[in-house]
Amino acid sequence: MTSAPAVDDIVRSEYEHGFTTEIASETFPPGLDDGVVRAISRRKGEPEFMTEWRLKAYRHWLTMTEPNWAAVAYPKIDFQSISYFSAPKRPEDMPKSLDEIDPVLLETYQKLGIPLEEQKALAGIAVDAVFDSVSVATTFRKSLAEAGVIFCSISEAVHDYPDLIKQYLGSVVPHTDNYYAGLNAAVFSDGTFVYVPKGVRCPMELSTYFRINARNTGQFERTLIVAEAGSYVSYLEGCTAPQRDENQLHAAVVELIVMEDAEIKYSTVQNWYPGDAQGKGGIYNFVTKRGDCRGARSKISWTQVETGSAITWKYPSCLLRGEGSVGEFYSVAVTKGRQQADTGTKMIHIGKDTRSTIVSKGISANQGRQTYRGLVRIGQRADGARNHTQCDSLLIGDCCTANTVPYIEVRNPSANMEHEATTSKISDDQLFYCRSRGLTAEDAVSMIVNGFCKEVFNELPMEFAVEAQKLLSISLEGAVG
Amino acid sequence: MTDLTANGFGSWLVDSVSHADWLDDQRRLSRAQIGEQGIPTSKQEDWRYTSLKGLLEQCFTPVDETITALAPDDLEDILIPGLDSHRIVLVNGRYAPDLSMPGEIPKGVRFDSLRTLLDTDPDAVRDHLNRPLSALRAGVEDEPQPLFLALNTAGFDDGLVVRLERAAMLERPIELIHLSVGMDEPRVAQPRHLIILGEGAQAILIERYVSLGDSIYCTNAVLDISLGCDAILRHERIQMESANAFHLTGLYLNQDAGSHYQGVNIGLGARWSRTDLVTDFRGEHARCELQGLYLAGDRQFMDYHLDVTHSVPRCTSRENFKGILYGRGRAVFDGNVVVARHAQKSDAAMSNRNLMLSESAEVDTKPQLDIHADDVKCSHGTTVGQLEPEMLFYLRSRGISAALARRMLCLGFAGEIIQTLSSELLREHVSGQVGQRLESAPLD
Repeated sequence: MTSAPAVDDIVRSEYEHGFTTEIASETFPPGLDDGVVRAISRRKGEPEFMTEWRLKAYRHWLTMTEPNWAAVAYPKIDFQSISYFSAPKRPEDMPKSLDEIDPVLLETYQKLGIPLEEQKALAGIAVDAVFDSVSVATTFRKSLAEAGVIFCSISEAVHDYPDLIKQYLGSVVPHTDNYYAGLNAAVFSDGTFVYVPKGVRCPMELSTYFRINARNTGQFERTLIVAEAGSYVSYLEGCTAPQRDENQLHAAVVELIVMEDAEIKYSTVQNWYPGDAQGKGGIYNFVTKRGDCRGARSKISWTQVETGSAITWKYPSCLLRGEGSVGEFYSVAVTKGRQQADTGTKMIHIGKDTRSTIVSKGISANQGRQTYRGLVRIGQRADGARNHTQCDSLLIGDCCTANTVPYIEVRNPSANMEHEATTSKISDDQLFYCRSRGLTAEDAVSMIVNGFCKEVFNELPMEFAVEAQKLLSISLEGAVG
Repeated sequence: MTDLTANGFGSWLVDSVSHADWLDDQRRLSRAQIGEQGIPTSKQEDWRYTSLKGLLEQCFTPVDETITALAPDDLEDILIPGLDSHRIVLVNGRYAPDLSMPGEIPKGVRFDSLRTLLDTDPDAVRDHLNRPLSALRAGVEDEPQPLFLALNTAGFDDGLVVRLERAAMLERPIELIHLSVGMDEPRVAQPRHLIILGEGAQAILIERYVSLGDSIYCTNAVLDISLGCDAILRHERIQMESANAFHLTGLYLNQDAGSHYQGVNIGLGARWSRTDLVTDFRGEHARCELQGLYLAGDRQFMDYHLDVTHSVPRCTSRENFKGILYGRGRAVFDGNVVVARHAQKSDAAMSNRNLMLSESAEVDTKPQLDIHADDVKCSHGTTVGQLEPEMLFYLRSRGISAALARRMLCLGFAGEIIQTLSSELLREHVSGQVGQRLESAPLD
């Protein structure tokens, strides 16, 4: 079967969001040592305890080695050639409202289809937009404050809520956890802090848009979300990045802490620049995401749609400690061109009657390389633990790769663990059926792929689900041949 | 030369008799590879859940004498009454002609002791023994042999060579009995078997590992199986080593176009065992079935590694392993299905189901798919669970004791695999053994 020319056009379509915003930024020269770590801390006016915390992490990081077990290939990263701090100018007069924000910046968001003010009105989403490393816009602070919800940048939180930071930062992902988490702890530039007090249902969905901008700057975000007993919060994270020639390193850390009867829903749409057709210039996305269900009946739900980045290395995990706590992971990952993704989840069942669900949908096209790597561990005391895992791969084209590497460790006889995986392509029958009813090849593929991912999209908040479907259509429509 | 003792396996090897230059070269190469590898650790993916500590605590030395003191009567408890077979017996890894009863062998079929062949006509097996790892295992270029294959290559001194010519057919099964007999000190036997079926040949091979007494010993067997075009081999392996034994098997299977391999692996014995099943398709439309049942009782450890490679289009593989764990039993299942680029229309399905009956049992399972072609049908499924309380209740409400009810349900679970054995006698034998082990198991 030969593909229609229109189909090929779409496959070759250039990255839509590739543009660079000209904005003066104050950037450190490349390199990393004790001095740079101190300088970052000083630059952000951090209290002594944070400087020490960073230095401890940095010194430990020096003793660590880069992990190489993931099924991804990339040239060795020279950590000394990366600049570790970049902030939009005028940090001293942080804007209080949207009017004060640099119009160039606003325009950037508009190009990305994220009109802040419209969103404010239509979707009721508070946006803590991260442009490079420092938060420059925070909306809806007031109505959140009335509910008692703290939603601010990590830098602000370090100043305003040092006790909370001391108590929770690094308590789920310690700096000793892995190489990139260690690096992040030492040099993290900014990120988001959310604290939902006891019994509060966050009145709106919180959202941060990440965007990597300044040339050759690694972005080291740090997100910390604490949900106290009986509270609920839904957090959306979405990313796009401008076109670049050099690879950009992104090593974020996300920590979630959930107390008794509380719930955090964390959704991600990741659409960073994947590199050109030769795989040149895409983002390296090495992320550590982990949630800790500390209280009984607490719940964490990770939903991710990963369509961008040259390399994705990401395993959002749940530590299910509390009795009856629940972990969920819903993922759609797309690799096309020369994209590589090694992603999955870890569900560590520690408490009694803990439950976890994993639904992973991988779509691999062109020369895309994709690995689902997951761990389900049911500990000796996790009586009545249940897990259901489903990972499906869809292959489009005969040069792509799909791997499934699940690790399942069960040490409790009352546990119930089920794992299923399938690998298939879009069958000719399905295509023929759709086309015989007058659908074009692209529409048919888009329909089938969207159907394949439906279980995951259903978990996304509505606005994100629409964006995700659009992204998927752009990435893949008609990639069949 | 590299110091072998450095990695703990030095005692396994002695200078073997020279049969041919090519073989000496192979053995030298293997020794060098052993020395270079060092001891596998849990950092290595293949040994992630498997510790060699217990094995290394023993100082195994190779069997250096042929045991002749046994009489056919001594086999009484071991033989399956009524099983009509071409019986070949190896005692501590060496061919025992006095105990074997090959019977009448049809035209085009040859059974030989590898030791004898090496003495008389080493070049007859040269093609099979003198070849690089890539001939045994797909996807490896210039890689050293895995440790236990290298140990076997460096140290084997006997085994069974079965050769079936084109279209030769064996009506009765070949029964290969590995009998281990206690010695004064811990011994390691490293038999090497070559099973070669020509085009369209058909055979059934029953492989049994048994022991007299419960002494400490180690078996490190390697089977090299080649199936010609359209050949059919049924291969039934029943491992019932002594409760103190260590058992290793490396099974390397190569299948030509249209051939069909049906393997059943029953693991009941040994305190520590590791089985590597490595299969590769060399021609289209071949089919490979690997079935397995393992019963890991108290303090038993069982490890199954499957490497199934679809390197050519239009082949089918089925992997179905079931495990029952009780006491402090531990099992590892690591199944890997690889579909190479261009191996379109591959069809693979892998399943691993485990029944955990006790608090202290543990199972680690890792069913992997590694797919490089798009037009394929691949799936895997894994479950870990316990007996359904409703089923137990149903049986108990009909006056059946809790213990018996559990045993019935376990046997039902195991039955799916046991039923695939070719002979009724064998099915009864295995069912009986499984039942017996479950009866003595502390099930609560």
